[in-house]
Amino acid sequence: MLLFRDEEHVARWCGMPGQPRGEAFPVELAWNLAKAWYGDRLEPGSRRRTAAESQALLTQVGLISPFWKLV
Amino acid sequence: MSSDFDAGVRWFILGYFLRIGRAPLVTELAVERAQPAAAIQAALQRLQEAHGVVLDRSTGELLMVHPFSCVPTAFRVEVDKSWWANCIWDALGIPAMLKRDGSVHTWCGCCGDAMTLTIANGALCNATGIVHFAVPAKDWWRDIVFT
Repeated sequence: MLLFRDEEHVARWCGMPGQPRGEAFPVELAWNLAKAWYGDRLEPGSRRRTAAESQALLTQVGLISPFWKLV
Repeated sequence: MSSDFDAGVRWFILGYFLRIGRAPLVTELAVERAQPAAAIQAALQRLQEAHGVVLDRSTGELLMVHPFSCVPTAFRVEVDKSWWANCIWDALGIPAMLKRDGSVHTWCGCCGDAMTLTIANGALCNATGIVHFAVPAKDWWRDIVFT
């Protein structure tokens, strides 16, 4: 999971041999994902999420395509 | 050992990262938790199977404790202290987890130009850049180091 300067740089990198094209989105969405995923990590009683709970977090930030299906 | 013991080990590791800025060694965990190294190694194996940590295959030491990386990476995070993160998601996850402002220093995955992201007043300030996920979610843990 890398950061790129812009879409053109993502396309150039994915065009290199052996580099798979996945999904790309603006870094602002990654910040929202980070807050949703890690925001409660240090809360008392924090526990490992179930797959359904993790899927709900991905959906909450807008990652809803088949690429983001955990199971 | 119980799952409470394993959870205690994982909490201790996270706290160690926050206090010291790096992962504890197995021997340090054994001393701190007053347990034989074998008991710590067994707990770490169980935590790895539950995707709670990732171990170095050759040494058995900690390699990843999300969002922290135990080894230098392309993602340096500064929030008072400095840590390495495993990827851009985890790098942003450190200030998100700490609920503190800070910065992420990395470089463009294509051209290598330096890129810095700043979190101030709980918001991403200079929101330029595109994040690329190469691996579909269902395959993240097939090879988590590549992911």
